[in-house]
Amino acid sequence: MSVENPLYSHFAQGREDSGRPLGRLRPNAVRLKDHPILEFPAGREVEFTFDGKEIKGIEGEPIAAALHAAGVTVLRHSPALGRARGFFCAIGACSSCLMTVDGVPNVRVCTEPLKQGMVVETQEGHGHLPID
Amino acid sequence: MAEREKSPDDNIVICRCEDVTLAEIRELIAQGYHTIDEIKRVSRAGMGPCQGRTCRQLIARELAIALGVPVEQVEMPTFRPPSRPVLLSTIARGEADE
Amino acid sequence: MREVDIAVIGAGPAGLAAALACGESGATTLLVDYMDAPGGQLIKQTHKFFGSERQFAGTRGIQIPDIFIGRLSKMPNVQLMWGVNASGYYADSGVLTLEDGGKFIKVKAKRVIIATGAAEKALAFENNDLPGVYGAGAVQTLMNVHGVKPGDRVLMVGSGNIGLIVSYQLIQAHVEVIALVEAARCIGGYLVHAAKLRRAGVPILTSHTIVRALGEETVRGAVVAQVDQSWQVKPGSEREIACDVICLAVGLTPLVDMMWQAGCEMRYVPALGGHVPARDENMRASNPAVYVAGDAGGVEEASSAMISGEIAGISAAKSLGFEVQGAEARLGQLKADLAAIRSGPTGEKICAGVKCATVCGGEW
Repeated sequence: MSVENPLYSHFAQGREDSGRPLGRLRPNAVRLKDHPILEFPAGREVEFTFDGKEIKGIEGEPIAAALHAAGVTVLRHSPALGRARGFFCAIGACSSCLMTVDGVPNVRVCTEPLKQGMVVETQEGHGHLPID
Repeated sequence: MAEREKSPDDNIVICRCEDVTLAEIRELIAQGYHTIDEIKRVSRAGMGPCQGRTCRQLIARELAIALGVPVEQVEMPTFRPPSRPVLLSTIARGEADE
Repeated sequence: MREVDIAVIGAGPAGLAAALACGESGATTLLVDYMDAPGGQLIKQTHKFFGSERQFAGTRGIQIPDIFIGRLSKMPNVQLMWGVNASGYYADSGVLTLEDGGKFIKVKAKRVIIATGAAEKALAFENNDLPGVYGAGAVQTLMNVHGVKPGDRVLMVGSGNIGLIVSYQLIQAHVEVIALVEAARCIGGYLVHAAKLRRAGVPILTSHTIVRALGEETVRGAVVAQVDQSWQVKPGSEREIACDVICLAVGLTPLVDMMWQAGCEMRYVPALGGHVPARDENMRASNPAVYVAGDAGGVEEASSAMISGEIAGISAAKSLGFEVQGAEARLGQLKADLAAIRSGPTGEKICAGVKCATVCGGEW
């Protein structure tokens, strides 16, 4: 018996079609398909860019999850020592996962929902504030 | 001033927001900074986006070991709002009208 | 400025239960959570709950938030706000500040129930900040909520129930768990979980710890070593393990910043995860306007969270003079349920911890 995850239910309200099946990802795709209990809803597939490369993800999932599925685990380099960082807590508490999204730095991508056309960049240090 | 022995642990990053290593923490303790607040103010450990959520307990543990006290006797730093980073534009805009 | 009788911060199992109890009493109630959807950690709990039907025995955790929201959304005196962060609580004025995606909102609340949960503890070892070092909860979220494999080869650190359960969930998702290391001499969690791992061929290395993570930009391995009785590494016992994920299941610590802000009396109770607010038997903190519920009061589990949430909700509402039907009987039943949950083998430490944190008979 499969159970729909309630986290996605409120994103379902905006869907135009009945939900395309997950697009064909890389051959050794890291998206789980045959889980004994859970069925992952086929949310709307969207495109976004990461450091200029086009990647596909599921609308509404955390940006970090979409990146992870695409094999990207290095999200930033720390300000003082330039150390590679990824995410750690996944609940927006530890601030490991800060990236620059649509020009805005220090976005916690482990909780920030993915939207079509987002421009996501590896953050170097503290990032740069956009000047209007 | 106390001479601190180097240790293989020195490179461990304790505060990942501000890149403060265990060596720096131990150095400050050896120099006489014996509270989390003081260490925070000098090194910036605990001042980053996570406000010490990750490093506070690790620093407390180092202090407890160095001072030879149980960790519950290590004084906690002061906690102030905001609990998570807030954009300056949000504050500048003032209170939202209902 | 908005005014509300009771504000509940956090919509995990404790906050949901607290808000429901407050709503039922007729009090104007505000329930906020910084995530875009409610449920807290319930959203990744695929297992069926046990216990009494009051705590949804037989239902999977992921199904529970909808049950609460179904009832809360029908109450005109209850307001739900998702994607809103509780920024600060100013005890002198009873004002709560909320941040709603760039909007700053102030709410005057007569009572505040803090149900902010707990966060993963960090472990200090060399290169512990490398991408690939994840909290166990994070691995669970990636797998169970987003359907993404965290990696191919995992080293699990910590043999408490979370370490054991997440290891098993990794195997269910066809991820290899190379080994589980536990610094203590014995496995921390229920042996029934450990047995499942052993049957799946996962070595559980007690008296072992992780010394360092290997890799330049991401984890590509780990060095583990044996430790002696005083947690010192035995020289020469170091072994290199190839892995791409190091999962830390070394415990949770309550997220209690707001309780410190509110000037509540705090106590350090290791059995509950660290600093927790002192509270009475009805979950009221030393500041009479503040209540605590769920893991924020001490790390236990979702079933306990729902119970303490309901206790806090009923008590907060009663303290404002709202009529709660059958309150005494309900509180009695809830406290009995809590005692039952805590009566298992691991419950002994929790009970002792709760005792340390509880102020009896109003003796503040």
